[in-house]
This record gives sequence, structure tokens and C-alpha cells, in this order.
Amino acid sequence: MKHKGILVLAAFFLFSSPTLATELSGLDVMKQVELRNDGQDLTQKMTQRLIDRRGNVRERHMMSFSKDYGLDSKSVTYFLEPANVRDTAMLTWDYAAESKDDDQWLYLPALKKVRRISSSDRGDYFMGTDFTFEDIKKTPELGDYHWTLLREEILDGFDVWVVEAKPKTKELERNLGYSKVEYFVRKDILMYVRVDFWDRKGKALKQLLSTGIQKIDGIWTATAGVMTNTQTQHRTELTFSEHRYNQGLADRTFSERMIKRGYRGQ
Amino acid sequence: MMHTLFNWVLNHPKSTLLFLLFMTGLAVGQMRHLHIETDVDAMLPKHSDAYLNKQILEDRFGSSDLVIIGIINEKDGIYTPENLALVQELTDWLGEQELFRTLSLNDLLSLATIKDIKGTEDGLDVELFMDGVPETQEGIHQLKQRMHDFAIYEDVIVSKDGTGTIFAVRPLPDSRDKYADIYELVQKKVTELEGRYHNNKFFVSGRPVIEGVFGMYMPEEMKRMQPMIMILLVLLLYVSFRTTRGVLLPLIGVLMAEIWTLGTMAALGINIYTITTMLPILIMAIGIADAVHFLSRERLLAHQDHFKERKERVIEVMHELWKPMVMTSVTTGVGFLSMLSSDLPPIREFGVFAAVGIVYALLISMLLFPAALMILKDQPAKGQRKPMFSHYVDWSSQVILNYPKQIMAFFLVLMIISVVGLTKLTVDASMIEQFKPNDPLRQADMALNQHFSGTTSLDIMIDTGKKDGLLEPEFLQHLVDLQTEIEKDPVVGDTSSIAEFLVMMNQALHADDPAYHVVPASSELAAQYLLLYSFSGAPDDFETFMTGDYRHAHVRINMKTDGTEAVARLLENLGEKTSVWFPESEGFKVEWAGTGFTLHRLAEMIISGQIASLLLSVLSIFLLCWWMFKRLRVAFIAMIPVSLAVTVNYGTMGSFGIPLDIATALTGAMALGIGVDFAIHYLHRYHEEQVANHSDVESVLNTNRSVGHAILFNTIVVVGGFLVLLSAALYPQMKLGALIAATMVVCYLATVYLFPVLLVLGQKRDVS
Repeated sequence: MKHKGILVLAAFFLFSSPTLATELSGLDVMKQVELRNDGQDLTQKMTQRLIDRRGNVRERHMMSFSKDYGLDSKSVTYFLEPANVRDTAMLTWDYAAESKDDDQWLYLPALKKVRRISSSDRGDYFMGTDFTFEDIKKTPELGDYHWTLLREEILDGFDVWVVEAKPKTKELERNLGYSKVEYFVRKDILMYVRVDFWDRKGKALKQLLSTGIQKIDGIWTATAGVMTNTQTQHRTELTFSEHRYNQGLADRTFSERMIKRGYRGQ
Repeated sequence: MMHTLFNWVLNHPKSTLLFLLFMTGLAVGQMRHLHIETDVDAMLPKHSDAYLNKQILEDRFGSSDLVIIGIINEKDGIYTPENLALVQELTDWLGEQELFRTLSLNDLLSLATIKDIKGTEDGLDVELFMDGVPETQEGIHQLKQRMHDFAIYEDVIVSKDGTGTIFAVRPLPDSRDKYADIYELVQKKVTELEGRYHNNKFFVSGRPVIEGVFGMYMPEEMKRMQPMIMILLVLLLYVSFRTTRGVLLPLIGVLMAEIWTLGTMAALGINIYTITTMLPILIMAIGIADAVHFLSRERLLAHQDHFKERKERVIEVMHELWKPMVMTSVTTGVGFLSMLSSDLPPIREFGVFAAVGIVYALLISMLLFPAALMILKDQPAKGQRKPMFSHYVDWSSQVILNYPKQIMAFFLVLMIISVVGLTKLTVDASMIEQFKPNDPLRQADMALNQHFSGTTSLDIMIDTGKKDGLLEPEFLQHLVDLQTEIEKDPVVGDTSSIAEFLVMMNQALHADDPAYHVVPASSELAAQYLLLYSFSGAPDDFETFMTGDYRHAHVRINMKTDGTEAVARLLENLGEKTSVWFPESEGFKVEWAGTGFTLHRLAEMIISGQIASLLLSVLSIFLLCWWMFKRLRVAFIAMIPVSLAVTVNYGTMGSFGIPLDIATALTGAMALGIGVDFAIHYLHRYHEEQVANHSDVESVLNTNRSVGHAILFNTIVVVGGFLVLLSAALYPQMKLGALIAATMVVCYLATVYLFPVLLVLGQKRDVS
């Protein structure tokens, strides 16, 4: 296994060396991350554990479906547990175009109605987790930051690029809630495995660690992640399982009608 | 044994002085460790529910101690482009300050951070009321309308009439030692803003500010009052002795006693509270008596020239004085030690260290003065000088002998008036009323309470006993009922809980239909609303109202006063109702916390401790007197002036509407402790006169001439020392100073005028 890893790394370096020779920039690295293959569609089970500083845990189980439509994407998430939110379902249409706000609907079974969720700021926290809407994107909006390749180092035995992102304007900084973010991008698989966040006062705010990285259906996948807010000591643990890539999910999966019907297994 | 000690001191005066200096140096070295404590919760015993609940509250829901800044513009109101820009500016500024915790909505509440929950045609909108300063008049008008419609923040953030708005910001956790810095920081910013916004008035208050200002005042006060008292002492001593040593020796003695006491406190890690700042004054006022007795006796003997050697003379002084000095110190000390029966650490520690200070003063007197007199050049006795106040003392003797009935009548009337006043005595532990009415902080607090929902927090924590318990419709309805009930009280400005937010959401999700302005119909619905909210609101928007497992709920109450009567009334009214709404048998638990509750408990403990410590003090001093004088009747009589003085003290407080608080509560035990010295000196001397077979009249005259004189001087010193407190910046010191001064005068009058009347009357009855 170890041997194989080295082979992969060696092959990668052989392949990417011409790029390095022309002084790779931070933006170049992030562009590669953005272009990484993460499948056309994905079905997975998701567990959220919200843990406050006193160790209280709130756990949620969800089933999620997502599909790419060019640069846009759509997703549906069904809540399985806890019982009092079972069958609640969320539908998201994510648009790449900056001019267009994402659309989000939530079906509330107790109300038997689909409700539209007002478009949120990118810096708003998502579903009571320590992730903001910006954080749950595959890559941040590259054009909104100044990118700097700070250094290369070894993290947990892997070569990584450390790329710094600083919001371009004060307005963006306010919107995002960050003054600085550092991405630790694994060179071999073009996936960031650690992200450090600094708040607007310049103090360390959060840290994201991705773990359990493995190849599923030929696609590199992080099966667990933990985001820790170092100021509030609140953290969110995510685990993903039962991945199925490229199932050819039907377009109607991502409709209001379907989220009303609820998740019936698949 | 005492003789061996005296001889050693007189034979080794230099070693004795070196020892005293060494100890003083040691104490000075410790003094920098002194810690000033301004936290009112720290004044409660650690086992008190108010203290414990406060910890739980901060742990579960975050601290409710917020810095409050209010802006009031009577002319144009707050809804103008300039003032909204000011709101944005100040909010941003507060958010950037390192001294504040500004992570979530409830850490920094202002018109620029609060969120509107709005029903739209097909959903729920959670958005800032003010996302940037509105650019048009139309936008401003909309903002105003929405604030009014969304009742939760009315009067809490913006006053109902729209003339003012509030900023509430939370200091970093455990940053109490920075509260003074916070006040200075905010005050500086406010001063700067006042320069730019002439029509706006700015007010700063809130518990961290109040405590911060206390923390600033206390050391300043100690530094300021110390020299005043020393000047007073120098004057009095100079008038009495007219020699350099007569001024310097007593002064050095009491200063040493003061330094030793503070040094001991520092070494033991004892906190300095507001009332502790009065300890040095007390030690000076009491300690000076020993010095004066010692030096004046020595001068008198020098004048009489009975002794060839000054060593013999000094030995005679010590021999004569050690007993009364020890006796008075013991009774005074015991009087203060009775404060140990209080539950409140500041009062207990005050009592203990007053006693320690008195013991130090005694020890230092017995070592310093003999040793110093041995080393200093012997001063020849000056010519006979008529003692001060001789005319007055003679006059008083005549009054006593000629008008015994009138004297009795006077004290009887005084007693009756006092007992009437006593019935009107109230108790209050208000923090803000410790500042003078014209103090800027108190003014600011008053203005804020007038325009907004109130600066004093009172908190109810309800444990539903189970996970998701607070989502139940029945529970939520009872929360609403509870809030409605509390808001009936006129001193309550506002209450808030998760229930009112769920009611808002329920209405918003039913197209803003007022018929749905009720709690969600099912637990599931409530859970789903909160989930829905979490998509547009922040995860911690409600962290101050409920715990993450939806088990514990928090009702926040804003009160317009921190007077403890209001809290007592609320607790009494609500006790029964809460036990019906949240029955313990079903696993509910209701707990109170917050500044209002802390002060309420403090007031209760002041009362109970007061009664206990007074009784204990009277009893133990009585027993001591009985033991010392060996006669029950004398012991009874000894208690009369002090008992009278204490009654007058509390009676005066009742009549003038001065409530018992943590400082004025000390007056009783202090008056007892100091006043009983007068009685002991007097009775001691009177007893000697009787033993010498002098007639009653002769005994009264002689006693009055010698002891009456010393007591008068002592009274002047104590009264003068405590009157210095009238210049204090804080009310408790002022009140305590005035009360002790008045009480000591009564005590003096009772000793000098009432004692002889009682003694002579009693004697006559004995004879017949």
C-alpha cells in the first residue's frame, strides 16, 4: 500500500513538474482543486454531530443526493433523524453565476408545506453547524480572494501546498466573516485536507480537518471532516458513508414534488 | 509574665524597634499582592444558590452581564441618516474591540445586529433589520415600521418613542480584572462621539461598567482619604501633646498597625471589598486611643515627678495601663469577631481583620512606645498646663449632679424615637445606589432605565428534565404565561425567552396571520421551525435562550431598578405559579440567577447576619464585662450606652430612610465594639474611686475629670476619622461615616451623662 502511494506520488510529480517550473501560483493551485473530478452525481449518507463546549451532542442523520449541471449543481437532503425533524427535506439549486442567488426550499412535514429559504449571506452559518455557506462549497469563489502560495510542506506524511486567501475588499471580508484563510492542498490528489480560518479581528477562528480520504468508484473522497471553532469551542463532526457516484440520478429527483413525497429508500 | 516582657523591652529598646521595623518591612513587601474584588457575586458565600446559579447560568447560556451604551436624541430621534450611521459606526467599533466577546448575536446587540423574522409569501425570512445604513427616507421609514411590528426588540433596543437606542455588548469571559479598562475604553469612544454628535446624549452603564468604576474608585478613595485622616490626627495630637514625639509616635504606631493588617490580608490572599477600604480608618481611630492613653499617662507621671529613673516611670505606666488596654482591645475585638456570624465573606473578613488590626495596634503600642521613650532623649516635664476642655468637663459634672432626671428623660425620649425609627428600617443591596445621586454613572443608569427596558438582569433557568423538553407546546405556553405574569410588575421593563421567537416564527410561517401569534402546535413543528431558522440565522442566535439539546430554557428579565425589594416581591408572587406551571413532580426545576437575584440574596443575608452578629456581640461583650468586673449589675450597666447607641443608630437609619446595606450593616457591631471601651474605662475608674472610699459625688467628679477627659478626646478622634468618610465618592462610605460619627456621639453622651446617673441611682437603691 505504502509502496503504491509512493508510485502515485512519483507519477504525479513527473506529470506536474512542467507547471512547477513556471512558478506555480496560489490561484493556479486552487484552479486545479476546482477542476478536480468529483463525479457527475453522488448519493451518500451523512451524519452530523454538533458538539458544544460542554460536550453536549446533537446528532442528525441525513440522506443526500447531488448532481452537477455544468458549473451549476442541484442537491436534495432528507432528514432521517432525530424523529422530530424526520422527513424534513431540503432542495438546493446552486448557481455558479455570481449574479444569481442560490435557490433553497425546505419541506416541513409538520406544516405539510414547502418553504422557501431566503438567500443567505455567504458568511452565514449553515444549519446550526460550524460551516458557513461559503465553507460547504467545493471551492470558494476564486475571484473574490487574493491568492498566495505561501509554502510547501509535509502534512501527515503528504506533500501539501499551503495557499493563503485574503478577501479582496473590506465588504467581502465583512460578508464572509474572515480576514484570512489558509488551505492545505494535498499535491497528489488536489484536495484540501486542512483549512485554517481567521476572523475579522485577525484572531484564529476555526479549523477544518478532512480525514478518511479514500478512493471510491475511482474518485478521491473525504469520508469524515471536523470543523472546530477554536473561539467558541463548538465543533461539527461530519461523516459520510454509502457513497455511490455517477448513478445517473434523474432530474426529477431535484424537484419540490419529490421532497414532499419524502425519502423512501432507494 | 507581663513584667518580664516589659523589662525585656526596656532593656533591649533597639532590638524591639528593629523587630517592629522588620515586621513592617515584611508587611509592606506583601501589600502589592492585595487584590481588589468588585464582583458582587463574590460577596456571597460559595454555597449560596445565587452564587452557584450564576455559574450555571454563565456556563449554559452565557453571562448576562452586559456593557450598555445608550444614545438618546430627544429632538430628531434615532431614525435619521446621521444617527443610523452612528449606530453602524459604534456597532462596528464595538465588534472590533479585543476586550469584548462578539462571536454571536447575543454578544453584541444593537439596531445593526438584531434580526427580523419575517413571513413571506412562500417562506421565512431572517435578516438584519438594518443591513447597512438605509439610503433613502423610504428605507428609514420601513426600518422604523418593521422595528415597531417586531415587538420583541421594542424598548429593548430602540425606545418606544424612537428617541433612543441601545448597544449591549458582552465582555470576554473571565475578564473581570479588565472591567475598569473596558469602562475607560468605552468612555473614551463616547467622548469622541459626543464631540461629533452634539444633539445626542450618550449614556454608559451595565454591571461590568458599574463594577469597573467601583474598581477604579476604591484604590483612589483609599489613597485620597489616608492623608486626610493623618492630617486630622496630626492636628489633634499636636493640640494634645504639643511635642514632635507626641505627634509622631502615635502616628507611626497606628500606621504600623494598618500596614501590618493590610500586609497580613495580602499574605493570606484576602480580597479587598468596598467596605474593606474603611478598615484602615477604623484601625487608626481605635489604635490611636492606646497611644494617647500611654503617652498622656507618661507625661502626667513625669510631671508629678514621683520617679527618679525614667525606666521606672515607664514601667509604672505600663503596669497601670496594660490591663485596661488589653481589656478594651479584647472587648472591641470580640465585638468585631461577632461579624463572623454573618454568611457574607466581606463582612466576616472585615470583622476578623478589624480584630487583627486591634491586636496589632495593642502589641505595637506595648512595644513601640516604651522602646521609643527609652531611646529618645528624656523630655523634662513642662509646667502645669490646664488640660483641654477642662471648662466643659467641669460644666458636664455640674449638669450630671444637678439634672439627673432631665438626663434620664432625655435618653428615654431618644430611645422611644429610635425604637419608632427602628420599625421603619429597610434593607437594600442595590449596587447603583452606592453611587451618589449626581454621579455620572448613576445618572446614566437612571436615564437608561427611563428610556429602555432596564439595566439590571434577573434570570430564570428552567430545566425541563428531558431532551427536547422545551419544544413541547404546553411548556412553551407556560413560558409565555410566566413572561406575561412577570411583565405585570412595574419595575420589569421586558422579558424574553425562546417562546416568543417561536411564536414569531409560527406567525411568519402562516403568512403573518395574527391568528397564529401563538406557540407552535406540536413539538415537531417547533423543532422544524428551529431547523428552518438555522438556514438563515446563525447557529448561536438562541444560545442565550436554550441549550443545544433543547432541555434547558432561560427567561431573561430586564429590570429598571436593582433595588432588592422588587425582586423579593417578584419571587414571592411567582413562587406558587411556577410550581404549578413547572411541577417538580414532572421533572421540572426552576432556578433563579442574575444580578437581581444575587442582590436579593445579599440583602437577605445582610439582615440575618445582622441580627445574629448583634446578638452575639451584645452577649459576648456582656459576658466579658461580667467576667472582668465580677459583678452582674455592673456588666448590665456597661451594656446600656452601647445598646442605646446601637438602637439610636438603626433608629436614625429607619427615620431617615437609610436602608441597611452591606456597609451600613457594619455600623451596629462597630459602634458596639468601639463604644464599649468608653464604658470599660469609665466603670474601671469609678470602681477604683469607690474602692478608695470616695463618696458617690466625689467618684463621679473624679471619674469625669480623668476618664471623661480621655473619652472625650477618643470620641473626637473617632468622630473626626469617620467624618472624613463624608468626602467619599461612594455612598456606603459616606453613610457609614456619618452613622458611626453620630452613634459615637450618642455613646459618649450616654457614657458620660447617663452612667453616673444610673450608678448613683443604683447605689442609692442598694443602700436603702
